[in-house]
Amino acid sequence: MKEARVISPEKRIPEVPEKLFLFRSCTGSMEYPGTEQAVKYVLDKLGVQVVMDADQTCCSGYILTCSGYLPEASLAVTARNLAMIEQKYDLDTYCFCNGCFGYNSELSHLLNHVPAIKEQANQLIGQWGYNYQGRTRIYHVQELYYRLLDKIKAQVVRPLNGLRVGVHYGCHYLAQQYGILDDGDLPTFHEEIIQALGGMPVFYKERRMCCGYAVGRGFTHKESVVQPHLGRKFDSAKEEGVQLMTTVCPGCNTALDREQPQLAKRGFGPYNIPVIDLAQLIALAMGAPISKLGFNANTVPLNGVLDIVGVGKGE
Amino acid sequence: MAKEGSDKWDEQLYQKVDRYGLVSNLEQCLQCGKCTGNCPVAAITPSYNPRAIINDILAGSTERLLDSEEIWRCMWCANCYRVCPVDINYPFLIMQLRYMVLEKGYGLKYVLPINKFAFRALEEGLTFVPGQKGKEKIMRLRSGVDATPWPEVSDRAKMEMAEIFAQTGARHWMEDLEKEEEKPVRMSYREGRIVHEGS
Amino acid sequence: MSDRSEMTALVIGGGIAGLEAAITIAGAGHQVVLVEKSPQLGGTTRELYSSFPRWENPAELVQGKIEEVQKAGVQVRTGFEVISSQKQGDIYRVVLEGPGQKREELVADAVVVATGFELFDVSAYGEYGYGSYPGVVNTLEFESHLREWARGEGKEAPPKTVAFIKCVGSRDRSKGYPYCSKICCMITAKQAGLVKEIWPDAKCHVFYMDYRAAGKGYEEFVRSVIEEKHVRYTRGRPAKILPEDGRLLIRTEDTLMGVPVEIRADMVVLAAAMQPGRGTREMSRIFDLNTDYYGFLEPVSGQAARVGERVFAAGGCIFPVENQGALQQGAAAGAGVVALFNQAR
Repeated sequence: MKEARVISPEKRIPEVPEKLFLFRSCTGSMEYPGTEQAVKYVLDKLGVQVVMDADQTCCSGYILTCSGYLPEASLAVTARNLAMIEQKYDLDTYCFCNGCFGYNSELSHLLNHVPAIKEQANQLIGQWGYNYQGRTRIYHVQELYYRLLDKIKAQVVRPLNGLRVGVHYGCHYLAQQYGILDDGDLPTFHEEIIQALGGMPVFYKERRMCCGYAVGRGFTHKESVVQPHLGRKFDSAKEEGVQLMTTVCPGCNTALDREQPQLAKRGFGPYNIPVIDLAQLIALAMGAPISKLGFNANTVPLNGVLDIVGVGKGE
Repeated sequence: MAKEGSDKWDEQLYQKVDRYGLVSNLEQCLQCGKCTGNCPVAAITPSYNPRAIINDILAGSTERLLDSEEIWRCMWCANCYRVCPVDINYPFLIMQLRYMVLEKGYGLKYVLPINKFAFRALEEGLTFVPGQKGKEKIMRLRSGVDATPWPEVSDRAKMEMAEIFAQTGARHWMEDLEKEEEKPVRMSYREGRIVHEGS
Repeated sequence: MSDRSEMTALVIGGGIAGLEAAITIAGAGHQVVLVEKSPQLGGTTRELYSSFPRWENPAELVQGKIEEVQKAGVQVRTGFEVISSQKQGDIYRVVLEGPGQKREELVADAVVVATGFELFDVSAYGEYGYGSYPGVVNTLEFESHLREWARGEGKEAPPKTVAFIKCVGSRDRSKGYPYCSKICCMITAKQAGLVKEIWPDAKCHVFYMDYRAAGKGYEEFVRSVIEEKHVRYTRGRPAKILPEDGRLLIRTEDTLMGVPVEIRADMVVLAAAMQPGRGTREMSRIFDLNTDYYGFLEPVSGQAARVGERVFAAGGCIFPVENQGALQQGAAAGAGVVALFNQAR
């Protein structure tokens, strides 16, 4: 038996950070800019200062896992980003995308546990003055939401009025397996957050099913695999009356949101289940102005949901 | 034993696939089937079977693996890794297997279409940057939520990322793939048969 | 050379291994004190409804041993635990604690530890939902269901399908123990066969990686469950259980066919791994005994049953073992004590 799989939020984040480095997500900043703003809004309300930096590049993990990039390069890119954060800010790194989180975690794990790999990376990035030491810890903002759940609950001004929310955890946070907040097959911590916001979490049968868009299978196997697969997921959600789906990964959000009209063309559904980031939902419940949450980026419109929560058009 | 240099049967196959040493515990596999039972792709197309692929890698049976269409179906959900009783990191195994078969010319059609974005990322510091129309839409959306019109990535960052790819040889590897001659793939696990010559 | 005219053995644990050790030692004319923490004797065997490989009634076995213990004049202390021990030369000064925190001191010339095993907590397996989904139970919980059904309970709503999952916590380097718990394949075959006895119309599935039937009459037993009781054995370790419409959906692979499989069941029995019991861990600490990496007691190299100075062990506290094996080990531990006492004369 190995180390503990599931640990308490207090053990995972012993001290709530006053300031953190927010890792920019490519998909998040381009497809759903409202998500990035919502994350910043929520963290600000929770009393946490956020720093971002233009010197941070893409984590390069997505294309690595498509077997499009080689590990030597991605390891160096990761080391470079994390070294920059360490040297400029000396803060912990929080991602708001499961993908960034997963790739940064796995690659930094290799860098920190295989000396030859770290040496090779540091030799390369050393030419620009970087040196990766492994000091910055990698987290995902969903962990901080759970850590500060009481604080979130206390600031809810627009309770969700029993809105039926089907959570989508995504794969790459819970794939980490050891030292994370919940069991990968039977997690409940997002549902606890939904409850704290006044929503009704729906434990739909296929809530743990992947979104299908990782490693470019949405390009290569859309009709043959990804669409039938998503059809099963959405059928399960629709059957159990899910009114809104939440994600913690702009990649998953893209898959689940943008694919719905195409699924309908192939005879799956129609589902009309809007998909937003958990940060956007929390920000909504905390009273953020709707226009700043960027829901106009969504393919499946949110109108029904906003009515249930009691949000007027002008808010 | 099979003939020297035969493509069909290779006792060193496991070591050749795991070129980066990311999956050192493959022989711990109990062939229990938990991976395949939890695999969302196997649920749609049972011809894709992670357990069988592991078995073929250990057995050295390259015949089915090289031109297999199935190995391109894994979507990296890592359900398999999560329930595996010996913690075999199957996603990293498939990633490396794909490198190996790509270099022999199989499966290029599953990687080259993504390469357009892969090369562009080395210039923009961001992945999946769309064309001009897409860029304009993004700028509108971002301005609407009070963000900078375009996500800010410094010139220094872009240059350093591009240099990393150049100096590690990764860029050269990507360019070589573009020149490789593509060989056909097939659903080899539906039709495959193993023949060990001369053993 | 001991200067004590009458030797006393302390047997810790009133399961059948401990009972057999007590009987052996008392039968040779020595004093025996048998300590058992629960109110009744019989240990894990007492909880069983049937046994392999001859479908015998374990209650009769336990009752028979209890009668022998009484006839042999063993002093029985149920509801008592050993809380400390001090070795002084060739004796142990042991303190027992009983009901109402009553304490008793006794002097023992030798000790037999027979504190047994306990089941691994399988709620560690989120994919199986033990403790969350109704209808998912472990081996011993299912045994008591069998007893209730055999008594006639539950006739209004018999299960339509029962599924067994083996190796839950065993042969698992990730969430459980790497070792094989040895007897669960046989227990599962027994329980599956009993389901078909009690509910002939029920469907019964066993999901396995291997079935280990290495014993006298064991292979024949398992084959009879498959061939005569018509239990379906499918090779594949289930990946996930999901609750669906009040039943349980099991997703697995039939690895011999190479296809994923979905089966719906009303009850799923998890054959949980066996680990050292709390009593075993405490006694190994109190008596400073030889243990293996997992905390099971380990006989000193070359010895049949000795695990410490003047301390012997028998039964599940060494490793999971079936009834017949527990009796044999109990007798061996008892004989070890008798030989030790003979040397002192």
